Amino acid sequence: MSSPPKLRVIGRSEVLPRPVLEQAAADLPFDIEFELIDSVKGLQRVVSSPETFDVYHQWHTVDLIWTARAVQAIDLSRIDHANLIRGQALGRQGDGRAMGSVFNQLFLQPSGALGSAPTDRIVMLPLLHGVDAFAYLPSVIREFDDGTPNSWGWLLDPRLAGRVSIMSDPVLGMIEAALAVEAAEGIRIADVGNLSVEEIDIIVDILLRRKKLGHFKTIWGNYRECARSMQRGVVLQSMFSPALAMLRSQGIPVISAVPREGYRGWHVDLCISSAAKGGQLDAAYAYLNWWMNGKGGAVTTRQGYYFAQPELVRPHLSAAEWDYWYAGKPAATALSDPLGQPAIAPGEIREGGSYFERMSRVRVWNAFMDEHTYLVRRWREFLEA
Amino acid sequence: MARAPSDGSKPYYQIVREVLSANVANGNLPIGTRLLTTAVADRLGVSRPPVKRALELLAADGVVTALSSQGYVVGAASGETSPERTNLHRLQLDLPPELGDNLGQARWERIFEAVEAEILNSIPFGTFQISESLIGEHFDVSRTVVRDVLSRLDARGLIVKDRTSHWIAGPLSARMLDDAHEIRRLIEPGALASAMPLLAEGFLSDGRSTVASALSRSAALSVEEVDAIELELHVDTLDALRNRRLAGAVRLQQVSLVINRLFATYIGLHDEIEMLREHALVYDHMLLGDADGTSAAMRHHLDADHARSRARLKVLSVFDAAEIAPYLIRIH
Repeated sequence: MSSPPKLRVIGRSEVLPRPVLEQAAADLPFDIEFELIDSVKGLQRVVSSPETFDVYHQWHTVDLIWTARAVQAIDLSRIDHANLIRGQALGRQGDGRAMGSVFNQLFLQPSGALGSAPTDRIVMLPLLHGVDAFAYLPSVIREFDDGTPNSWGWLLDPRLAGRVSIMSDPVLGMIEAALAVEAAEGIRIADVGNLSVEEIDIIVDILLRRKKLGHFKTIWGNYRECARSMQRGVVLQSMFSPALAMLRSQGIPVISAVPREGYRGWHVDLCISSAAKGGQLDAAYAYLNWWMNGKGGAVTTRQGYYFAQPELVRPHLSAAEWDYWYAGKPAATALSDPLGQPAIAPGEIREGGSYFERMSRVRVWNAFMDEHTYLVRRWREFLEA
Repeated sequence: MARAPSDGSKPYYQIVREVLSANVANGNLPIGTRLLTTAVADRLGVSRPPVKRALELLAADGVVTALSSQGYVVGAASGETSPERTNLHRLQLDLPPELGDNLGQARWERIFEAVEAEILNSIPFGTFQISESLIGEHFDVSRTVVRDVLSRLDARGLIVKDRTSHWIAGPLSARMLDDAHEIRRLIEPGALASAMPLLAEGFLSDGRSTVASALSRSAALSVEEVDAIELELHVDTLDALRNRRLAGAVRLQQVSLVINRLFATYIGLHDEIEMLREHALVYDHMLLGDADGTSAAMRHHLDADHARSRARLKVLSVFDAAEIAPYLIRIH
């Protein structure tokens, strides 16, 4: 027999904090090589060289990587707790608000297309999801009248000029910019998750003008840069929840917005390379099932992510953690971030409330839009201006 | 990456140089023949600048010799005999298709096709500025010809002028694909039905059996094989049309052929069974002489193909690294 397989995993740094890497390595009987790639290079690798990885933590790109046949269908009979996934797929039919984006393209249909009707094969294993909004420092409140509801329009508010930051990712950045333009300029956008050429032009032209006026202090690429920009004079910006946890554990009183226009929803899932076979494929399934034991999801809960099957992570969380992160109750004790640093003080309540309340307020899901080619080139024009 | 060759990418002076050199070597242009730039240009149907450059290079190679008076002579110049003043049109020369077939075609037309192909190959990957002077250098033609080419590309909707008067191409949007598809599905099925009775005997059965053997093969097809199958149904059939304007109008809307070829090049070919089955259906209707069925089957194929190429454009959108022509300058 050949030597024991080494599993090659690609994912973003936010999704794979150090304790997750360590726990997976300790629990699984083979070596794992994690490659953390935060830029589009990860996706380029995945679609053009499936033979260079075994598992990919995908991020709103499932239609695209399936078109490229860079991933293979996952056999649900080999996945632990698969009944929970089928149950969710059926159960959500009465509740289209939450998780729509996860299930709409989950099951491989007999035609070869992706769809929501449950079958025995899925193209990704639903893993993590959540909602994002911008965040701000308490000083920002003083710029607005008492009781002004949080709005995505604040990202473009002239009162904050020079102290605002936005993220560089074209998909997420453009969605947030669209929400901001809609709120600040009173422009109606038909579908924020699928912008037209004209809408992209309107949004980028506004961003370009603001950038030239010095409105944006920085543009950040990953959660570390995100946290750093707020340590360096930015008072309001796009936010990823790991950065929120990081800033709070450093004592910076950053507030996560609850925008009246709703949240930007996201999900991260597991895909198996179309090239994985034999021992590599077995290892890939073992890695997927390691996630289904809930330990990894418990770690990422502490940075604000929801697990696809919350009941699987509950046994690995303290009652106080469950109550704060999922139930929306005040923290009964001090709570730590994934690295064990204290991040939540006793008595604090999560902005936006419980799991259900927060997920119910998704306005738009991260999505590769039909006009992605056009979007990305115009977005680059904004970044390079 | 490998790229589909585009006709006309070789500079004209190079073509002329090779043609003259070959015709000297095989004796079509005998030693002692006088070569004047104007006369050679007229004989080959090209402009003078590439001929002038080609003759200079051939002189450096020793194939021809510059005369003190005017022009060149084939071989080494001898002081005694004066060079032969031959009417070059009387000489039987071996001419490559780049020159021979296109004698009646305007110069801009040949370059137009090359530039159009390069632009279509590039714009799924970004926005490009087009350099007039570099096109002139690349093809060895005058500004007048370049402007002619660019104004036709403008009319074709492929390039626009920006505020600073630079020609810009791209990025290719899904909207452009949608627009092209909307027009194409209106005219290509009808054009095919009109061409059907004019197609040479055997053409259809050959096309059908190519598709059948591709369908029965277990191994994946090559990019070239798929390309040939696509061209046979979408381009070669229309050669039979008497109405050249209709054939030309259809060709202008076949953007998805480019997307599919780029996808195969960058990502690799996958399951093309759907495409093959759709082609088979079109051929079957044509073999029965069923014009309405042919149109309907073609419309179905175009719609399905549009959905595929739209999805494929999305995949291409994550890449940057197109190999681009020297006269295209990436700006975003």
